[in-house]
Amino acid sequence: MKEVKLFHGPNHPGMHGNFSVHLTVDGDTVVSARPNPGMLHRGFEKLMERRSWIQNIALIPRICVPEPDINEAVYSMGVEALAGMEIPERAKYIRVIVLEIARIMIHLMSVGGIGGPTGLYTAPNWGIADRDLFLDIFEKLTGHRIYHMYIVPGGVRQDIPADLLKEIEEKLDNLEKRLVEYRELIFDHPIIHKRLKGTAPLPKELALAWGITGIGIRSNGFDYDIRKYDPYLVYDKLSFDVPVCDESDAYSRLMLKFREIPQSMRIIRQAIADMPAGKVRIKLPGNALKWKVPKGAVYSRLESSRGEYGYYMVSDGGLTPYRVHVRGASYPQGLYGVEAGLPGTRLEDVAVWLDTMGVCAPEFDR
Amino acid sequence: MLQNEFIAKIEQEFGLDSAHITIVAEKKIAVTVDSGQALAFLSYLKNIDFIQMSLITAVDWIAENHFELVYTLVSWEKNLTVSVSTFIPRSEPRMVSVRHIWPTAKYYEWDINEFFGIVFSGHPEMGKPLFLEGWSEKPPLRKDFDPQAYSYERFPSREYDYEVENKGRVVE
Amino acid sequence: MWEKVQDITRGHSLWMLYYCTGCGAIELPPTMTSRFDMERFGIGPMATPRQADILLVTGYLSTKTLRRVIYTYEQMQSPKWLVGFGSCTLNGGIYHDSYATINQLDQYLPVDLYLAGCMPRPEAIIKGFKQLMTMIRTGEADGWKRYRDNREWYRKNQTKALGDLLYTTR
Repeated sequence: MKEVKLFHGPNHPGMHGNFSVHLTVDGDTVVSARPNPGMLHRGFEKLMERRSWIQNIALIPRICVPEPDINEAVYSMGVEALAGMEIPERAKYIRVIVLEIARIMIHLMSVGGIGGPTGLYTAPNWGIADRDLFLDIFEKLTGHRIYHMYIVPGGVRQDIPADLLKEIEEKLDNLEKRLVEYRELIFDHPIIHKRLKGTAPLPKELALAWGITGIGIRSNGFDYDIRKYDPYLVYDKLSFDVPVCDESDAYSRLMLKFREIPQSMRIIRQAIADMPAGKVRIKLPGNALKWKVPKGAVYSRLESSRGEYGYYMVSDGGLTPYRVHVRGASYPQGLYGVEAGLPGTRLEDVAVWLDTMGVCAPEFDR
Repeated sequence: MLQNEFIAKIEQEFGLDSAHITIVAEKKIAVTVDSGQALAFLSYLKNIDFIQMSLITAVDWIAENHFELVYTLVSWEKNLTVSVSTFIPRSEPRMVSVRHIWPTAKYYEWDINEFFGIVFSGHPEMGKPLFLEGWSEKPPLRKDFDPQAYSYERFPSREYDYEVENKGRVVE
Repeated sequence: MWEKVQDITRGHSLWMLYYCTGCGAIELPPTMTSRFDMERFGIGPMATPRQADILLVTGYLSTKTLRRVIYTYEQMQSPKWLVGFGSCTLNGGIYHDSYATINQLDQYLPVDLYLAGCMPRPEAIIKGFKQLMTMIRTGEADGWKRYRDNREWYRKNQTKALGDLLYTTR
């Protein structure tokens, strides 16, 4: 049969984000694939060099659109490491609560988002509506629904009131009851079993060769999670499990995302119970807009919902960063993984592959 | 302790002294090597179990007239992170590709080639566009490229009736 | 006379091309799903440009995306309307000094309605769409006629931003 060239293009109902893949198809099977990134490119690394250390906090949540808090957390951790600052304990607990709520929100959107490629349109309606209830909490805490600008170098911007903590606990209790319904709708559905079991497999050797972190490697039996291996903030004082499974295909990866939601709820409840009283922010020396950070280079990273997310920051003692390189968590699988892993899948499973591998276009396009 | 054993081993094998090795934090080490030694050092690290290539990045030190290439590698078993830096001259930026050691390095090196102009030998896609399309100026992340002038000249902005102070300038 | 009746019926049933071009797209799913339900106003998402009425440009546009948005706009059948979403379509927004994004959308395509904000809330999107429906019923929203009549001016601006790449393939 003749080979046909197709664009799994930027505007596609099953595609999350503005990212296109050029496919060469023989009948129904993909023969070769080439990623075409760059449609969301804004030149962040150059823009960050032109704004002062504090002004960058307003800019960087926009690098990863579905989960913006990790950007602020990694940037603040890097700046604090360069400047040698130690933040108060209460600020660390609040940062953990904010990061884990962000993790719950993006897992709800991904588990619901399987409805796009497969056609089960009830799932996105539920997932996005449940996520919206948590966006209300962020609006009360920080003032903006999506881009919070809450975690700053030195701590967090303001304290979290006690009745907001009670509201978080109530919403977590409601979510726990809803998770049973998600399991019945998505994971016990016979058509989803036929569609997702065995699709988009990721063998262990390929996952190790590509250097994938996060769900891709935990679904192959390794329990590599930066919160356990290289703990940051107060994760070494909280107890939680890291779900792992043995075989990696689309169904098991989606199941792992679903199993991480109760663990995040456990972390948030412990953090609310153990949080000490005190200040939440230390004052920066002198005028914050004219603050100069000492010379040095640091690679700070944390565990996002898709893998290892890091910033490599270099300072030369000036008013602005000298160089910041953003390492998006889905860089290996979005670019090299598409070229090496897509050939052999069927055409209708390309959207499922891209969705369950966790390809998020804005973070590698920057 | 595992970290000290590791440092002693690489000091012995590659003749590096303490000026080249810094302990940045617990379990994080920074090593500086010559550009001629870099490939041998990186292959050695892959053989002793540094299987994850986290990041390849480049820094443009325009005042000292060289580029710095930084390879960040992680070993899960030893639980160590090593950043290997090497310097190449700015007038002729060339380096050997490591994509036969870590396959994902293909896209990291293509990225650096597009934004800095560094050429990696043994790489099939040097000079071809990846993120930018129809770009004919100098590589954009170099320090002598001004993005604001380019943007205002090529993409006209909206005219307003009032004057804007300090537009696009870092407050000195 | 017949035009007036057509305008009234068009204003009540609009199909929107859900093309998420930039970061503003994250507020579209909450608007379309059950919490802020947009479908009760008669607006629903559509997959292809050939069958859609509204093109929603959500956020900033890099030059690569601009080329594809121009192709998409020209593939839509008239009458068609374009809504600029977010501050980046107005004046470049927070990326005004970036080498990769454009600064003003109505130099390249005719915009009927802007929604300011970074980013607009779902309630603001619904209010904007209701105003667009009023503008369609009264006949004020005529961007496609402006594009048809001033094609040389738009084409000149597009070539200045994109170079010679318009209508070449890679």
